[in-house]
Amino acid sequence: MATTEKTEPGLLDRVSTMVDNLVKVTTTKAPIGKTPRQAIWTLNKATLYRYTPVKPAEERHRVPLLLIFALMNKSSILDLRPGNSFVEYMVNKGYDLYLLDWGVPGPEDAHLALEDYVLEYIPRAVRKLKQVSGSDTFNLLGWCIGAMLSTLYASLRGNSEGLKSLILLTAPLDFTDKEQISLARMTEERYFDVDRVLQAFGNMPAGLIDYGAKMLKPVENFVGGYLRLLDNLDNPKVVDSWHAMNTWVNDAIPLAGGAYRQFIVDFYRGNKLMNGTLTIRGEKVDLNNLRASLLNVIAEDDHITPPCQSARLLDKVGSPDKQELRVPGGHIGVMAGSGASKGTWPKVESWIATRSD
Amino acid sequence: MSEANKGFDPMKLIQDARDGGLDAWAKLMLRLTSSHEYQRVQGAISKPTLLAIALYRKAAESVMTELLANLNMPSREEVLSLSTRLTHIEMAIDDLGAGLEQLRRSVGGARPQRTSTRERDGGSETRTVSTQEA
Repeated sequence: MATTEKTEPGLLDRVSTMVDNLVKVTTTKAPIGKTPRQAIWTLNKATLYRYTPVKPAEERHRVPLLLIFALMNKSSILDLRPGNSFVEYMVNKGYDLYLLDWGVPGPEDAHLALEDYVLEYIPRAVRKLKQVSGSDTFNLLGWCIGAMLSTLYASLRGNSEGLKSLILLTAPLDFTDKEQISLARMTEERYFDVDRVLQAFGNMPAGLIDYGAKMLKPVENFVGGYLRLLDNLDNPKVVDSWHAMNTWVNDAIPLAGGAYRQFIVDFYRGNKLMNGTLTIRGEKVDLNNLRASLLNVIAEDDHITPPCQSARLLDKVGSPDKQELRVPGGHIGVMAGSGASKGTWPKVESWIATRSD
Repeated sequence: MSEANKGFDPMKLIQDARDGGLDAWAKLMLRLTSSHEYQRVQGAISKPTLLAIALYRKAAESVMTELLANLNMPSREEVLSLSTRLTHIEMAIDDLGAGLEQLRRSVGGARPQRTSTRERDGGSETRTVSTQEA
């Protein structure tokens, strides 16, 4: 009887594979954000995409789902790579899925402020989504600053524009406990002159945002990640995952100056949303007006948006149907980490599934 | 490999020592970068740097504006304001399109959609364009 013997690769083969992998991750970009989609609407740099459904219409959820990510990183983190993509997961579960991608702001967009995103871009994208989907209602998922924009939109326009459910992931909304929020300390008025930064650059440069975020955990970000790669250079699974994440991390985008200034002055320093003093184009943002069903997802190990930044949200909103979900993981890992497909995604999906028909 | 041999792995020992050192270093750096003293130093360094960049930018802009004016070309400010105006026109067209769509729906007419393909983000994507948008 013939036997098949699995031969261990020799030392030379291993070294060769490791060198190949090292060259690959240092000289190329991983293919990320590749789930098939169509651009159905654009405004300035923003684009609304609809992901190509894989299930027939009768098997799909009736209520479409709109995804909104942060302003200073690319939304491809939601669709990192096949097998580790929230977008792919949701499309396979039968959702009519849309993504509002903000694009990359140029110098001409330095004046863009939160009101432009919340009152001009999102409502128009929602209008197009409803027209294309044929549904009068929709669900919304916002992540990071995308969650903040979604909260503002839900409070100001959500009720009148058919917002059924809102999912917030790692939302930076509450800036009361400044000692817990490292970024709040970094941007204190006595240390950080936001106007001088914007005078110098117009928009907040991607490099500075990235540096600020990485300095929250400098050794892990500047050394630890690379050591993890070196330790696993002969493990294709780890290398591919690292490559995809590194491609995304190093593809940060600038933040429009007007929005950045508001973010620092009104949120980090003034905590105006939680204090009930925030106005957007003359309209007071009252969280009590947020009546859509709400799922607030908090990452327990988030050092960028610590749990205290949205833990009090449920007490403030007017939604009769609201829930908090605490999941292990960091700011990005909670949705794009290797454990997300068995942790956060199914929990989020099962919550939204009951509110999508 | 015998159990005895499995027990001793010099690489593992080196890695463990390295990781232990890294952890200690990470904690130390975290304490340092979280401190008000660090932020104060950071602020002190960034202030003159930002001031120099702003001054340079202002000077370069003023030279460029003069040069462009002499060449009878639009200035940076004019191009930027043109972009803002284009975005406003885009919004107006978007609103008109939506208004027409609403009107079409209210009279119950059906409208075909055409599809065009274009290149975006390095890959082929399809854009559905309504006849009104076109």
